[in-house]
This record gives sequence, structure tokens and C-alpha cells, in this order.
Amino acid sequence: MMRQGFILCLFLCALSACEKGETLDPGFYACTFTAADSSADHPAHTNFMDLLQAITHDGAPGVLMSVNDPVNGEWSGAAGMADLFNQVPMKPCNISRLGSTVKTFTAATILLLQEEGKLDLDDRIADYLSGEPIERLENADQATIRQCLQHSSGIRNYIASAQFQTASLNDLIRVWRPEDLLAYAYDRPADFAPGSDVRYSNTPYILLGMLIEHIEGMPFYKVFEEKLFTPLGLTSIRFAAEDNVPDGIVRGYVDLYSNLNVIESTYYSGWDYFTADGGLIGNPKDLGRFLRALTNAEVISAASLAEMTTWRAPSEVDDSFFPIQYGLGLFRMETPWGEAWFHSGDAIGYYACMTYFPAEGTSIAWGVNGNYGSIDEATQTRPAMERIFDTVFP
Amino acid sequence: MNNAASSHIRSLLVVSLACTSAFSKAQDSLRLSISLFNQSTAIPYTRFFTTPVHPGIQVAAELDLNERPRGRAFTGAHLGYFFHNHLAQGFYIGADLGYETRTTIGISFAGMLGLGYLRTYATKPEFILQNGIYQQERDRGNGRIMPSLSLETGYYLRPDRHSSQFFIRYQSWLEYPYSPGFIELMSHISLHVGVRFSIRRNTATQ
Repeated sequence: MMRQGFILCLFLCALSACEKGETLDPGFYACTFTAADSSADHPAHTNFMDLLQAITHDGAPGVLMSVNDPVNGEWSGAAGMADLFNQVPMKPCNISRLGSTVKTFTAATILLLQEEGKLDLDDRIADYLSGEPIERLENADQATIRQCLQHSSGIRNYIASAQFQTASLNDLIRVWRPEDLLAYAYDRPADFAPGSDVRYSNTPYILLGMLIEHIEGMPFYKVFEEKLFTPLGLTSIRFAAEDNVPDGIVRGYVDLYSNLNVIESTYYSGWDYFTADGGLIGNPKDLGRFLRALTNAEVISAASLAEMTTWRAPSEVDDSFFPIQYGLGLFRMETPWGEAWFHSGDAIGYYACMTYFPAEGTSIAWGVNGNYGSIDEATQTRPAMERIFDTVFP
Repeated sequence: MNNAASSHIRSLLVVSLACTSAFSKAQDSLRLSISLFNQSTAIPYTRFFTTPVHPGIQVAAELDLNERPRGRAFTGAHLGYFFHNHLAQGFYIGADLGYETRTTIGISFAGMLGLGYLRTYATKPEFILQNGIYQQERDRGNGRIMPSLSLETGYYLRPDRHSSQFFIRYQSWLEYPYSPGFIELMSHISLHVGVRFSIRRNTATQ
């Protein structure tokens, strides 16, 4: 009797356990901004489309890409699917999560505030912020704003915490607040003394978002809107805090078990909705536009750009990637095609990268609605980038 | 999990169940337990009860290897299921080896080592890359090894050794391999609340 009851219970559990896919009309993915261009007439159109097809063939559910160079102008394209369940193809104008690429926007905003005389990069961040984050994050009381921007503060990265990683997997649709995330770095030893090295850390960027809010008296993403999104005409760009999962956003997918069997993860990215280390949403075309404007000193002054692009190499070298150096919210990588400035970003089920080759004046930005496991090999590793750069610079 | 490892685990379980069966012939009682539990991905001993609740149920059978007035070593087999919201549901089977000590007032403390086979299935549609195109396919599941360490405290309702018992068990366990080349293993905890009772055999000793 007990055995029968147990088996019945198992069947009931299994039957009730399956979530159905979310049925969405293709009109849900209608573009909300103008993306008309002459991409089809671009001399490399066929090569670029072949590249996108290859990326999706190798595991990306869908990919968006934008290339801009001084000779041929803008090219935008897409391949694969925006929504696997409803079989909706990706369109060049679709919006996706852009993750940590927001750090470049955060850095640009901080540099603008310095230009306005509201702060100095060499001020300690503790001169502006107080309370638990400063008291319980080791090095936060000593680190300067510049060190926070350049990942040289030594403040521990909350994302690297195994406790955070398991907790986020345990509650995949939780919407996290900044204090929830900071708690995973509280009372943890710093990675190094402030200024003595560089190592990627999201935690200082949460503090930088709080700093912007402290100085401007409004949410940092509203400051982004006022100072960056609107003046630059970045009509596709918005921040997740305003609408966590906006209409039209392509579905995200994760290859959690590294076997190219993916499940949808559109609602899994709640850890970066309210902090300045992630949470950006938009189209890669606008990422490229932003990066070109930034590097042409159209957003910040030439002096600020010089500070942003004062590079520093880490003591730990990742041999699997291009040699990189850290700037302020921006990285420099040495590629066989020349020096490139870039920032990339992951959200759960999404990846984006924006690069700028200053010698050629060429920007390349791409976004993918899938990541982790084996998908990353086709979209964000060195071989993946080499394939992209080799196509753009044949 | 590769076929060799899967075969090894299954062999281990067969041996374990065979031993359990053999012991059962020599014992005058079999202890059965049923527990409901909350499963979570977490680092062991950093969390106790977590939310959201990911429910599970487990049944187990135990046989004493030896029994003293205040303690017993035991072996057993278990079968269970859990449902982790938005991620996966898992069916598992395994074997345990444990030791329990019992105080004069009926409170008990036990520790158990376990090894099992876990098969997980996605709780939402799964899309599989085939010839460069993702297609929705029936999930065939993923096989894992499931080593575990459990700490348990309980209370015997009566002084005799066949008494029923309520227990709370803190089980830490690993899911391996999890995501080869990405996340090698995943750490879980399961907090069980259950009841254990004996089924006596109709033998001359009773």
C-alpha cells in the first residue's frame, strides 16, 4: 500500500512538474525603434551573414551583430531564432540583454560627473558613501573611485562566491537588490591591497552605481538616460530596473549542462536588474554607436578619454584569451588584427560584446540570446572572436 | 555521465540491494522511513532552511548491521524524487551506511554516508542542437553520481528498539558531473522531516 502510494505520488509530481513554453505571437517581437539601413548593399553582407549562420550552427540560438567602419558605414544583421518555442526568427532590430557592457556606461557617467566638478576620480569612494557597504567590504574604506573603475580596488567579487552562485541557481527568478548582492562580499578578504593589481570585480560597480545616485539624487539608470541614452539617440537602450523583462526582448537560453541542450532562461536574470554592474538591455547597433561616440570623445572629453584608456595589465594572465589590459570601464586587447578596446557582458541566457579598433575606426558589436556551457565556445572565446574579426578584417 | 560510470553505479546499487536483502533474512525487523524534504542548491552548512521550497519525497529501508543498547550501525537503500522550480526534477536511488546513537530519553543522533544514482529532467521544454538547428525534443534526462553525507537527529516515541521515530535530517550531497568544463559539480542540501518505523517479522524470537 505504501509503495503504491509512493509511486502514485511520484507520478503526480512528475505530471504537475512540467512548465509549458510561453506562447507569444511573432508581433511581440516587433521592433520598437527604427533600424532601417542599407546592410543588404554592404560589400561584406554575404560574408557577415555566413558568419552569423556559422555562429548559430555552432550553438548560439540567435545572434545580432552590427559592424561600422569609416569606408562602408553601418551593417546590421541577425541569424537564428529570437524564440525557439514559438519559432520566431531573430531580426536585426531585436533587443537583448547586454549584461556587463553597462560598466562602460557607468564609467562614462562617472567621468562626466568629474568633468562637472562633482567628484574627483582620486577621491576615496568612502568620502561619499557610508554604512554597511563601506564598513563590511574589505578595502572599501580605502579604495578610490578610479580604483573601483579600473578593478584595482581589490574588493572581492560577489559573483565569484560559491554561496552566491548556488543561491542564484536555487531561486532563479528572484529579483535581487544591491544590498542582497553586496552581502556575498561582506567580511570576505580582499583580493589584494588597493592599487596593487587589477582583477575583474562586479562589487565596486555596485558601489559606483550608489555613488552616482548619491551625487545626482536619482536612480543611476535615470542618470544614464539623461546623460547618455537620450543625448546619443540610443533608442533601443534601456535599463532593466524600469522594466525587468520588456516587451520584445528576445528569449534567453542556457546550456547549463554543456551538451547544447538548452532551456529558456528569460526570467532568470534578476540579479542584475538594480545594480550598475549589469542590467543593460538593447540592440548591439546602439552598443557600437555608443562605443564609437565614446572613443571619439563625443561623450566625454579627450582628457577623460585619456584617463579611461590608461591601461594596466593584470598580474594573472589568461592564456586562453587575447592579452588584455584594464582601463576605466573598458578593456584593451591585443589581437592579430590590431589593438581593440572592448567590454563584454553576460546575463543568464544572454551575452553581448562591443569592440572598437581605433586604428581602423571600426566597431563590432554582437549579442547572443544564449550562453554558458558549450554555447560560449561559439560566441565569446578567443577562437570565436578570431572568427568574427577575421571575417570583418579579411 | 559515461556508460562505464553509470554501469559502475548500477552495479553498486545491485550489490547494495542484494546485501540488504541478504541481511533482511537474518534480521527480525526492517526499518522503513518516509520523509518530505526541501531541496536546494547551496554550500553545505552555510544554509539550513532555504526558500523557495523545492519539495521532495524519499522512502528508505534500513537493516541493522549490529545493535547495542545505545547505538546501531545500519545499511539501507533509498528512493526519492525532488522538484526544483524552474530548473529540474530528479529521481534517484541509492544506498546508505550509517550509525545512530540513542540517549536514555529517546533522542537520537545519526550520521549517514550515501551513494546513489540521480537522473534529472528539465522542468520546461528542452531544445537540442541537431545539425545546427535547435529543435524541441523529449528530454531523455541526465545521469549523475550522487554522494551524500547526512546528519540526523530524532526522537523515539517509546523506549523499545522497535519504536517509531520522528527525525530531522540535514543531507548534503553532490551532483556529479554537473556541467563538464563549466561547472564540474553542484552542491545541494536537503532538509528532511520524516518518520521511521519497524516492520516486525513473525519469527520465534518475537
